[in-house]
Amino acid sequence: MIEHIVAGLQRPNFIVFVILFLWGIFIMVAHANLVKKLIGMYLVQTSVIFLLVTFSAKSQATVPILQGPDAVQSVSPTIDPDQYSNPLPHVLTLTAIVVQVATLGVSLALVKAIYREYGSLDEDELLQRIE
Amino acid sequence: MNQLPVIIFLIPFLSAISAPLVGLKHPQWCRPMTMLSVFAMSVAAWVNLWLVLNHGETRYAFGGWPISTALPDPPLGIEWVNDALASVMLVVLSSLASVCLIFGGPVTPKSLGKRAVLYYTLILLLISGLTGIVFAGDIFNVFVFLEVASLSAYALVGMAGGRALVASFRYLILGTLGASFYLLGVVFFYAATGTLNMADLAQLMTDKPELATSKAVIGGSTFMFIGFAIKMALFPLHGWLPDAYTRAPDAISPLLAGLMTKVALYGWVRVMFWVLGARDTADGLAQVHLLTLLGALGSLAAVFGALLALGQQNLKRMFAYSGVSHVGLILIGVSQGNATGFSGGMFYLINDAVMQAAMFFIAGAAIYHHGARTVDEIAKLRQGSRWLTGGLVILALSMIGLPPTGGFFGKWHIILGAIEAGNYFAVAAVIVATLLTMVFFLRLFVRVFAEQPASSEAPRVETHLAFRASVGVTSAAILVLGLCSDPIIKVFRSIASSAGL
Repeated sequence: MIEHIVAGLQRPNFIVFVILFLWGIFIMVAHANLVKKLIGMYLVQTSVIFLLVTFSAKSQATVPILQGPDAVQSVSPTIDPDQYSNPLPHVLTLTAIVVQVATLGVSLALVKAIYREYGSLDEDELLQRIE
Repeated sequence: MNQLPVIIFLIPFLSAISAPLVGLKHPQWCRPMTMLSVFAMSVAAWVNLWLVLNHGETRYAFGGWPISTALPDPPLGIEWVNDALASVMLVVLSSLASVCLIFGGPVTPKSLGKRAVLYYTLILLLISGLTGIVFAGDIFNVFVFLEVASLSAYALVGMAGGRALVASFRYLILGTLGASFYLLGVVFFYAATGTLNMADLAQLMTDKPELATSKAVIGGSTFMFIGFAIKMALFPLHGWLPDAYTRAPDAISPLLAGLMTKVALYGWVRVMFWVLGARDTADGLAQVHLLTLLGALGSLAAVFGALLALGQQNLKRMFAYSGVSHVGLILIGVSQGNATGFSGGMFYLINDAVMQAAMFFIAGAAIYHHGARTVDEIAKLRQGSRWLTGGLVILALSMIGLPPTGGFFGKWHIILGAIEAGNYFAVAAVIVATLLTMVFFLRLFVRVFAEQPASSEAPRVETHLAFRASVGVTSAAILVLGLCSDPIIKVFRSIASSAGL
């Protein structure tokens, strides 16, 4: 048990991810206001992206563009991969952010349309009106 | 002909991009253009199916980057897999989409006005997103296309305004949660293996059996399954579906009901058999009883979906719940771990796509001609033409599972597969779900056929040509699927053996 806690504390990014993710879900479930639900949704999406970023973080590493002497002899096998960070997770992050922005745009448009239609953003009130 | 998969994707995608430009000056051209491009896409999909069945599968590497898993280097490129399963799904997808567009003519919301241009753009984007999911050979690619399709679906559900907006918002919140879970699964897989390519992942899993049972992969596949389960509306996570499908515009419900959940289910089947390599052996993932768990979830969904359908008064809502039940039936089939169950499940998936579309065609036509929204009002269908009642009878035969319809052969092979696996609980679930389906169709038939007509002098309403065509095509497809079930099942059996079942 103790060793699990110690192992967990050595990866604070995981703990932060779990807190953010669950917090986001809690906001989505607990709040009746639609905009607050969206904030929760945004938090959930961001936490997953955060996990992806922290996985790929590497200390003392730089962008994967060959620099200095490496650039001249780029075909030689002497390139030290530890010097460069993996670009793929960053590309995935960018794509996920684009998806997130698109989702947020659609959802805000929906919220706006709901407000114009019903004059309220409270879920309980909306459900009562629909009945 | 190697470029065919990309061409099939580009037909709807390029039309989606050009539709707003064309619609700027000539909004009335958008509908013909959409129909033309989806028809062209289905022709290309049939050609593609013929090519794949005769000349074997092809793999498409974007930009010519290496995708082979045989090389010592990891595959760099994004891969599209054009195998038998994908091409069959694509034919179903594109053909159903064209029938849905034919049906959509008279019932397209009148309130759209100038926004009709955007409406057709969204339909085309939805179709291209689904095409992407079908072809994708890369788990992150699946995520992106899943979101393209889902975002279009949210907007299309909310298109009609009013109550649909709230249903659409709920769909969006839950769907995005599902997408986040799926992305979390992708992150776990990437952290554990360092690759996103499905074939490469599967290779790594077989090379290192300890990887397949590691916590990262089990956790990742769990999250991925939760994500897909929300998108396919598996029983406890189906909350968004009934409202969204009931309140969506009548022209959109068949498209979403027939395609959206089925393609999500297809995505999970891809991950389950082509990445995780789930099969009924003593090694690998069988240790965590993945298939047993899925079979149990499917049984629950099949029985409870049908039970919930039984309690509904609204026609579209009842049909939506029967779709929840059928997702469970398909999951029972594919989780038996043998070729019989798999081919039965996938065959039922095709049937279910056609049947769901047909159900919402009939519901939409009943609303358009007779204003019949509830089970009690369905009696008005008698005033209409025989096309709708005839379509309803054929549909009911297939939903209940009587020969010679496609539904019978699907259920038959699912049950045979379950018996082969010795899984009698699943057999019982299929039979109970069938009986419940029969009960709710009897409720409809009692009203349509048995009760005395309220006013026999009511004028007969001629069914709109578009409705006659779409109901006719789907009814014929249900019968043809039943009569030609043997060759189709054979194709699925060969697919199952390529997946190692």
